[in-house]
Amino acid sequence: MNSQNTAPKVMKETKNSIRVEFDRTSKKERMRIKYLSGSFVVSVVWAIFRYVLLIGLAYVVLMPFFSKITGSFMSPDDFIDVTVKYIPKYPTLDTYKAIIEESGYWEACLNTLALSLFCGVVQTFICSLIGYGFAKFKFRGSGLLFLLVVLTMVIPHQTLQLSMFMKFRYFDILGIFNFLGGGVSESIELLSFTSINLNNSYWPLALLSLTGLAYRNGLYIFMMRQFYRGVPDELEESAYLDGCGTMMTYFRIIIPLSIPMMITIFLFAFCWQWTDDFYTTVFFTSSGMKLMPDIIMTPKSLDTEFAAGDLYISAIRNTCGLLVIAPLIVVYLFGQRYLVQGIERSGIVG
Amino acid sequence: MNNVQQAPQAMTAAPKKKKKKVASLDAKKSRMGWVFVLPFIIGFVIIYAPIVYDSILYSFTKINIVTGGGYRLTWVGLENYQEALFVDSTFVTTLTSGIKQLIFDIPAIVIFSLFMAVMMNAKMVGRAAFRAIFFIPVILSTGLIDKIDQSNQMLSYMSDTSAVDMGEGTTSTSTEIINAMDIQRLFQNMVIGEELLNYVVGLVNDIYDIVNRSGVQMLIFLAALQSISPAIYESCSIDGATQWETFWKITLPMISPMILVNTVYTVIDAFTSADNQVMNYIDQVYDQPSGNVLSSAMSWMYFIIVMLIIAAVAGVLSAYTFYQRQER
Repeated sequence: MNSQNTAPKVMKETKNSIRVEFDRTSKKERMRIKYLSGSFVVSVVWAIFRYVLLIGLAYVVLMPFFSKITGSFMSPDDFIDVTVKYIPKYPTLDTYKAIIEESGYWEACLNTLALSLFCGVVQTFICSLIGYGFAKFKFRGSGLLFLLVVLTMVIPHQTLQLSMFMKFRYFDILGIFNFLGGGVSESIELLSFTSINLNNSYWPLALLSLTGLAYRNGLYIFMMRQFYRGVPDELEESAYLDGCGTMMTYFRIIIPLSIPMMITIFLFAFCWQWTDDFYTTVFFTSSGMKLMPDIIMTPKSLDTEFAAGDLYISAIRNTCGLLVIAPLIVVYLFGQRYLVQGIERSGIVG
Repeated sequence: MNNVQQAPQAMTAAPKKKKKKVASLDAKKSRMGWVFVLPFIIGFVIIYAPIVYDSILYSFTKINIVTGGGYRLTWVGLENYQEALFVDSTFVTTLTSGIKQLIFDIPAIVIFSLFMAVMMNAKMVGRAAFRAIFFIPVILSTGLIDKIDQSNQMLSYMSDTSAVDMGEGTTSTSTEIINAMDIQRLFQNMVIGEELLNYVVGLVNDIYDIVNRSGVQMLIFLAALQSISPAIYESCSIDGATQWETFWKITLPMISPMILVNTVYTVIDAFTSADNQVMNYIDQVYDQPSGNVLSSAMSWMYFIIVMLIIAAVAGVLSAYTFYQRQER
């Protein structure tokens, strides 16, 4: 590029191509034009501004994590000592040990892992199925049905807290159990019960996941639908020509195509289920089953009263939080790039 | 829905007779559509619709758990609503301040996320790293962690410079990033009014909260920005438009549908999130003895108000939304 000799015009000549070196303005001149112009100054100022802002905001995001991490290593003495702010003087692992021992961390971890994995996989698959149905098939009432999906997204689940609890406490399919169990008239009594108590088991969440109604599933369906709308129809048509049924086409052509998108959805579903404290507290009211919300507690061996006790307690809670998300951080580091790509591919944009 | 089983065989043979029976192919294909959305329909009919129906019903009743399984509902009409509005002293104040907060938060979050998306869309060193950092809250600061952060004294202690200073006798007790006084001095000569001033100060101090809550919106804006054809920008720069003009004349109209989407999402998100004070209050009421029906009534009231807000916002915004004609 910076060839200094200006004499040879033709650098290299073959049968099909020729490379020619033209006369160029001197390097000094080019540099002057490039770097001493107004637009360059503007772009430098803009870049500096941007980095300052981004780094500052990155600090705002990361700072709480940092403070939680350092706080989790502090011993009670550090909280009394006002000179200690970030770096503990007497670092200790007692907090971690106490929480892991007393709150049954591993058990909760395993239970939540099972629950989240199940919900994540099922929700991903079901939402992809439903999204495909909405994207590629025009049937009567599809618009109305999609409106219902949006409705499930809009009504906050807190509003339905009580009735959701009741629904699964006295579970019944359209009154069939009640009817068969003799709830309507005494003469029919095929079942020995009128309703099933599904609470304190994985059933409520499994059922919600299987029907695309669990936490933010409306959003997943929406994303999947937008993604499938971008898939060209010709792909499916060629599959039909080759003799595939609709289901076969879906499993053999569409699913492999949407793996990156499904990873995104899975990440959302898995992580949001993992840190969820709404469903778990509504459905698991009195079970002995340990789940993540049970981790957030103050271990008895650490429960002390002293001057900076409040700070210490909140540090303990933060440590609990760190323990909860520790497995997720690994997942996040692995799946982060899918997250951005997935949303881009979903083309929510249109 | 009845003819669902017949469809699969028909699909394979369909393309051959495409010219003759286009309508019937469409009909068969549309039946397959029902199969795909079947899980949702089943769930909606068996689980969701009864839940919503019950929830509305409960808000008009009193509930008694009968010993030996089962429960009994007593119809009380609008009593729960009256209790929420007139007897419960905190609900109305919580509701009004919560809604005020919501209305103030919407523009802040939408503008901030748009701004960040524009910044992160530009090519620069470390873009991937910044993205990774800014999307941490989307995944990690939800649910439980959000709840812990609500009552987090560590954070305020850590960002508090006064704790050390107090030992040395200074009187500052500010825990905020900036002091209201600083801005007041800055805007001394501007007539912007006390309210706006407090709003700006509040925003700056809540920056952590705002960053945390604008993750998904940032993702959506980023995707929108990337879908704008570079050719448009190119022709703009050939016509001599500056970056500033390009932003207002091209970028903003092109992503205006997403501004609508994000605004609605922000309202829904703010309204369903765990740090929403009205929702927290409703949760508290739920835990009180016999408060569960009251909480149903309260949340339906809140829901209707928020729906009205969404309708109003969407109505206003859609008047300014630009849709590019797109043939799919």
